[in-house]
Amino acid sequence: MTAVSTRPAAPAPAPTPDAASQARRPADPFAGIGAALRLVVRRNRVRLVTWLYVVVGLFAYVAVYYRSIFDTQQSLDDFARVSDTPAIKALTGLEAAPNTMGGAVWTKIWMTCALCLMLGVAFLVTRSGRADEELGRTELLRAHMLGIHAYSTAAWLVNAALCLACGVGVAVASILLELDPDGAGVTGSLVLGASIAGVGAVALGVAAVANQVATTSRGANMIGAAVIGAFYVLRMLGDLGDGRLTWVSPIGWGQEMQPWGANRWWVLALLLGLTVVLHLVALRLEVRRDLGAGLVADRPGPARAPERWTRPLGLSLRLQRGPIIGWSVAVLLSAVLFGSVVDAMTDLLDDASSTMTDVIGGTGVDDLVALLVEIIALVVSVFAVQTALALRTDEAAGMAELQLAGAVPRARWALDRLVIPAVGSAALLVVSGALLGWSYGASTGSAGQVGSLALAALAYWPAVMVVVGVAVVLFGWAPRVAVAATWAVVGAMWVVVVVGPALRLPDWLLDALPFAATPAQPAEPFSWTPVVVLAAVAAVLVWLGVDRFRRRDVVTA
Amino acid sequence: MGLAIEVDGLTKRFGVVQALRGLDLAVPTGEVVGFLGPNGSGKSTTIRILLGLLHADGGRATVLGGDPWVDAVRLHRSIAYVPSDVNLWPNLTGGEAIDILARLSAPLEPARRAAMLERFELDPTKKARTYSKGNRQKVALVAALASRADLLVLDEPTSGLDPLMEAVFTDAVREVKAEGRSVLLSSHIFAEVEKLADRVTIIREGAAVESGTIAELRHLTRSQVTVAVDAGADRLAALAGVHDLHQQDDHVTFAVDEAELPSVLAAVAALQPRSLVANPPSLEELFLRHYGDDLAAAERRATAADREGARS
Ligand SMILES: Nc1ncnc2c1ncn2[C@@H]1O[C@H](COP(=O)(O)OP(=O)(O)O)[C@@H](O)[C@H]1O
Ligand SMILES: [Mg+2]
Repeated sequence: MTAVSTRPAAPAPAPTPDAASQARRPADPFAGIGAALRLVVRRNRVRLVTWLYVVVGLFAYVAVYYRSIFDTQQSLDDFARVSDTPAIKALTGLEAAPNTMGGAVWTKIWMTCALCLMLGVAFLVTRSGRADEELGRTELLRAHMLGIHAYSTAAWLVNAALCLACGVGVAVASILLELDPDGAGVTGSLVLGASIAGVGAVALGVAAVANQVATTSRGANMIGAAVIGAFYVLRMLGDLGDGRLTWVSPIGWGQEMQPWGANRWWVLALLLGLTVVLHLVALRLEVRRDLGAGLVADRPGPARAPERWTRPLGLSLRLQRGPIIGWSVAVLLSAVLFGSVVDAMTDLLDDASSTMTDVIGGTGVDDLVALLVEIIALVVSVFAVQTALALRTDEAAGMAELQLAGAVPRARWALDRLVIPAVGSAALLVVSGALLGWSYGASTGSAGQVGSLALAALAYWPAVMVVVGVAVVLFGWAPRVAVAATWAVVGAMWVVVVVGPALRLPDWLLDALPFAATPAQPAEPFSWTPVVVLAAVAAVLVWLGVDRFRRRDVVTA
Repeated sequence: MGLAIEVDGLTKRFGVVQALRGLDLAVPTGEVVGFLGPNGSGKSTTIRILLGLLHADGGRATVLGGDPWVDAVRLHRSIAYVPSDVNLWPNLTGGEAIDILARLSAPLEPARRAAMLERFELDPTKKARTYSKGNRQKVALVAALASRADLLVLDEPTSGLDPLMEAVFTDAVREVKAEGRSVLLSSHIFAEVEKLADRVTIIREGAAVESGTIAELRHLTRSQVTVAVDAGADRLAALAGVHDLHQQDDHVTFAVDEAELPSVLAAVAALQPRSLVANPPSLEELFLRHYGDDLAAAERRATAADREGARS
């Protein structure tokens, strides 16, 4: 799955006079890979097993649940019909054979499994890649008998094995749960497993390159997540439109393998081909750069710091500049794209028969817009959590200790820095809601969309702040696990939003989760109660976390 | 004279690890106090408590007359701190980091800042990511030494410095002391402390095992004595103040407590030695005597060798 096996072992080139001008290949680039493999597995075994469980478990869970509720072909046909909405198209795409048992399960969970695996692989590669390099661990290893590519390739191979295991696991679950139609063999299940493994492999390639390009582990994760997010948005635009953009996105390729529909094996070649190309690029880059460095050398910077950095807020605005700019661009761009897609769909509806308009036009478009607003809010919450967790990452790295040994009260240090997630998420919500409304209402001339969608998005601000509050509480009370636990909470909320009722959780609980509790405008009317309650919960959580931080030890990693 | 730091029976536990077991420590105003101890003995833990970064479980600590936990912010205006592991913001420059640190504690004098940068040969325009450990350490040192802090708390400040820079550091601390400011200097290297400190506290496994002025501690040191005698060496081993006795053929080597030197020498004289070599007491040896398990094991090996030597 990686490029390793395809690469002939080149003889060590003799030093040439102009050797400095060309990147020479060190001899034995893969020496010591066995030891490196063992190390990567040992350091990541819990994480590897967790991701495998999450991906295969989610799939099997939904499959078991759907088998129990869809007991007739009639019920499957009904499900296929009701799920043919713009909202579902946007979120998960449509299956080629939606009225089969496998197709129904695919509609519900394929995209979630694929994204889980892709993000998991991207983060795991960074953990053994840039993160270790940043901390000087790779240097320690490379000083021993370890070839230049051995450690990175070991991480890729281990993650390739994870992709393969997830693919096999999903396929086996699908076969055992008899998702294939009677008499059709198990081809659908095998194509399904291959599509999961294939998109995971592409994410592995993306992460491999991102880890060579970025200079920090945070940067590598940002690039990886951003590219995967772009793949997702491209396929969303394609699925809502004429389908061409779906073919631009590797996630779209995974969809277009169409298990139980066209069963296209050849698309797997696209996925694996891209994976190999990305790894070849990564290997190339690894030879060309110095250990610990990115592709561009660091330039000298200012010798003095501006006065405003004395405040924790001023300093963290500077430190978080990258994430702030990156997330703003991503969110605002998505909002414009989302709006243009909805706009194009309403144009189509104008030409359609009046009965169609009645069916889809009224509730359909409002549902879609409400869903898009919620997706934007979820993405904004990821930005907010990431910047809030800088409290913990700076503490773990020892930078908080330097600042707190100065004359800064702990509460102010924490609250000052929380201004970024708080104000930043409010601003992002308002502006992206307005942009969504602007590009949606552009042709229809309904200028009112700008204001109403800006407010619809802003209504999610208390929900976003509840998630930030969870991060702060964990930072205060359980600093060592705060980062992992917070992301687990965010992940669980995504899963609940997507899988929802299939989890068989009580309705009151599902409705009480921050994003579900927020009125989904314009599909639902606005109501003050949930918004005020969520804001109060957020305030209490932040207070609990910060108050605890004032009383506890400063804990470095 | 008042005390800049006063620590009384300090205890701190991390889960199952008892890091501090009733530590006592005092830093008189205007003095440099060496805080010596092997790795893991609790120096950094003590210092973090003195800075209000950790909460002590028991005991009392007073810094510049205030409670380090309650009055942290007020006190930090008069304290400069150099941590043992300096972690900086990777994409800020060293100069930017110095300004950030200095503005958060005691005010910094621009002239001093420039002078210190020069003396430590630090380029303030480089990104912290590209600094070596020694250069990161220099950033924290420049920020601390250029400040007007009344109290400097330095946790193994020279661990990444080359010998030339160590000399610069020694000079700078002497200047700080000449200005009447107080310094707590933690270290696991004896020579560094001996050069600078008025007083020394030796910590081992979370408790102070020795404490006093350098002169007082010299009294606790032992001279190393080697004599060649024909017989009666075993009588020496029984004397008060004789330690670590080894015998090889007719050469006997042992350590003598400074206080017992007269009586032991009288006993040696009675054995009519053919030769005698005495090495002057070293504080290093005193420090090593209190060092961790390595040394204890070495002592056990030595005594085992003694017994074998005695049998043969
Ligand atoms: N946050 C912590 N959690 C658990 N144990 C710790 C922590 N910090 C220090 N220790 C333990 O406390 C003891 C003293 O450590 P430290 O104060 O860092 O020693 P020193 O600075 O003298 O080398 C060591 O055994 C160390 O492992
Ligand atoms: Mg230490």
